[in-house]
Amino acid sequence: MTYDSTQSPYIVLNAIRKGYRIGSETVPIFSNLDLEIPRGDFVAIMGPSGSGKSTLLSMLAGIDRPDSGSLCIGTCLLHQMGEAARTAWRAGNMGIVFQFYNLLPMLNAAENVELPLLLRPLSSKERRVRVEKVLDLVGLAGRGNQHPKLMSGGQQQRVGIARAIVTDPPLLLCDEPTGDLDRKSAEDILGMLRVLNKEMGKTIVMVTHDPQAAQYASRTLHLDKGIFTEERRAAR
Amino acid sequence: MNFFGMARKNALRKPLRTALLIICVTVAFLIYGLTASFVNGSQGGASGASENILGVMSAAGRTQPLPISYINRIKAEPDVLAVGYMTRLRGFATVEKNIIPVSAFDPRQLMDVNGKELGLTSQLMERFSENRGKVLVGRALAEAQGWKIGQRITVTSFDVQKQDGSRDWPFDIAGIFEGENASTDTYFVIAQYDYVNAMRSRHKDTVDAFVVRPQQHVAAGELAARIDQQFANSAAPTRTQSEKQFLEAFLRQYADIGLIVNLVVGAAFITLLMIIVNTMVFAVRERNFEIGVLKTLGFSDFRIMILILGETLFIFAVGGGIGLAGAMAFAAFSSPALGLVLSMELFFNAMIMIIALGIATGALPARNALKTPAVTALRAR
Ligand SMILES: Nc1ncnc2c1ncn2[C@@H]1O[C@H](COP(=O)(O)OP(=O)(O)O)[C@@H](O)[C@H]1O
Ligand SMILES: [Mg+2]
Repeated sequence: MTYDSTQSPYIVLNAIRKGYRIGSETVPIFSNLDLEIPRGDFVAIMGPSGSGKSTLLSMLAGIDRPDSGSLCIGTCLLHQMGEAARTAWRAGNMGIVFQFYNLLPMLNAAENVELPLLLRPLSSKERRVRVEKVLDLVGLAGRGNQHPKLMSGGQQQRVGIARAIVTDPPLLLCDEPTGDLDRKSAEDILGMLRVLNKEMGKTIVMVTHDPQAAQYASRTLHLDKGIFTEERRAAR
Repeated sequence: MNFFGMARKNALRKPLRTALLIICVTVAFLIYGLTASFVNGSQGGASGASENILGVMSAAGRTQPLPISYINRIKAEPDVLAVGYMTRLRGFATVEKNIIPVSAFDPRQLMDVNGKELGLTSQLMERFSENRGKVLVGRALAEAQGWKIGQRITVTSFDVQKQDGSRDWPFDIAGIFEGENASTDTYFVIAQYDYVNAMRSRHKDTVDAFVVRPQQHVAAGELAARIDQQFANSAAPTRTQSEKQFLEAFLRQYADIGLIVNLVVGAAFITLLMIIVNTMVFAVRERNFEIGVLKTLGFSDFRIMILILGETLFIFAVGGGIGLAGAMAFAAFSSPALGLVLSMELFFNAMIMIIALGIATGALPARNALKTPAVTALRAR
């Protein structure tokens, strides 16, 4: 899917200001950030370390709030929602993939994937069926009983993706999803994200350092000193 | 997997740490189970004793005799339903350590005054009354000594001498009485007053106490005062107390056992509380990033709290369960002389303590967990 500015955008950031307080001073990260992402887009965000990529992603994920400005995803005005409301929103609307997988060590692969489903009114059988389906989708059929510790980085990240999509959210946020992986595993993971975007229509925002990873996205935004510069191109 | 399964997995991720905590809880509840059942039991406390039955003893001391003739004046009191006299014969069987309490009554009076509480049946009384040398033995005592019906036993009295100079009292066991319920004291022998009185060398025709059952709905305290009033100016004034008061006063001579038990148990539980709170605070701090991950996935504060409380509740449920089971096993296999009674009430209290302590120990770590921001997940490593 290519970027089409006529389509009504799915994510709209308007005049976002965000800073971190360190002692008595506030260190600004964004002073006036605008961004629009249409439904079904696959956006890569690149930029130097410390430029605010993770901060942006945490706002899109609803785990952090802008100091001012508006942040709308779908019909939700995230900047106006309180902590509890955003928590509930997260459970139903987005999946997140972390650089270091962030799997819970005491749970096996299937149980890690099952976690977000515990928040839903599903029977244990229904949960099992869905977990098996997504494990199959990420190429880990039959590996559910394995513990993440015993898996390779690539396999752990597949579990991470399975956990992010098990609730079938429209939005997928990825913070350096291949940052800890070798080239081959990284390509597997990126291919998987592309499938999720193209075939399942998920809107994906991916932060990455790796220009080759960014190639999988339909467009790349460069973040530096609090503003975006866009590199536009046709999808591969 | 469900929430509780997750809490359990959290608890078991450091098996040694959790095992140690569970052992702490087990020991605390074992102490609680044993001490509380000791207090509950007839030997340890007065809870099994009746509030309603009065004992009339000499005001000069419980070992001082009273004239048997007092019974008529007590019986004349309209609020008295039944009255019986008794004399004690404290002794031992074989070795001095093996103390056998013997109380000698008139069988008919005993049935009227205390038959219900002791679980006496007319069948039992019939066999008991066959001849004067027959006795009834309480279930707890019979089991402790291994005595059987029909057996002849010899109780060597510490202080009551027979006319022939011997202090050995032979008795024939006519039956075993069970007591009304588990907390009834059945660790004693019921002998016959006439037999003891006829054979003893001193204190003939005196009694150690009168046992009084008031009419229903009579205030026992007021009746006790009236009885004492009657004998206030006689040669042997009396002191009348309920059986419960008497037992409590008797126990307090040594120490307030209930208070000591509460202090010991209280100290054990406070120590436990601090150990577990401290351990859990660290355990939860170690998992800060996981809590951040759960929050990012959409786990509400409430669920995260439940998860941590579930973990402490798990530790308390397992430890408390093992501790109480241990106390129960100990009570079942211990000498009945100890008189341990694990009542339903005790279990209920233990259950409440398990829940309360589980919540109390989980509260601080849970609060810390709630303060952990979800962004921790993105900043991990
Ligand atoms: N919680 C925080 N408190 C203070 N400063 C922070 C906090 N989180 C991030 N920062 C700072 O904000 C800047 C942007 O951080 P981040 O969004 O993680 O950048 P990136 O992901 O692009 O490397 C960095 O300089 C970082 O040190
Ligand atoms: Mg970052």
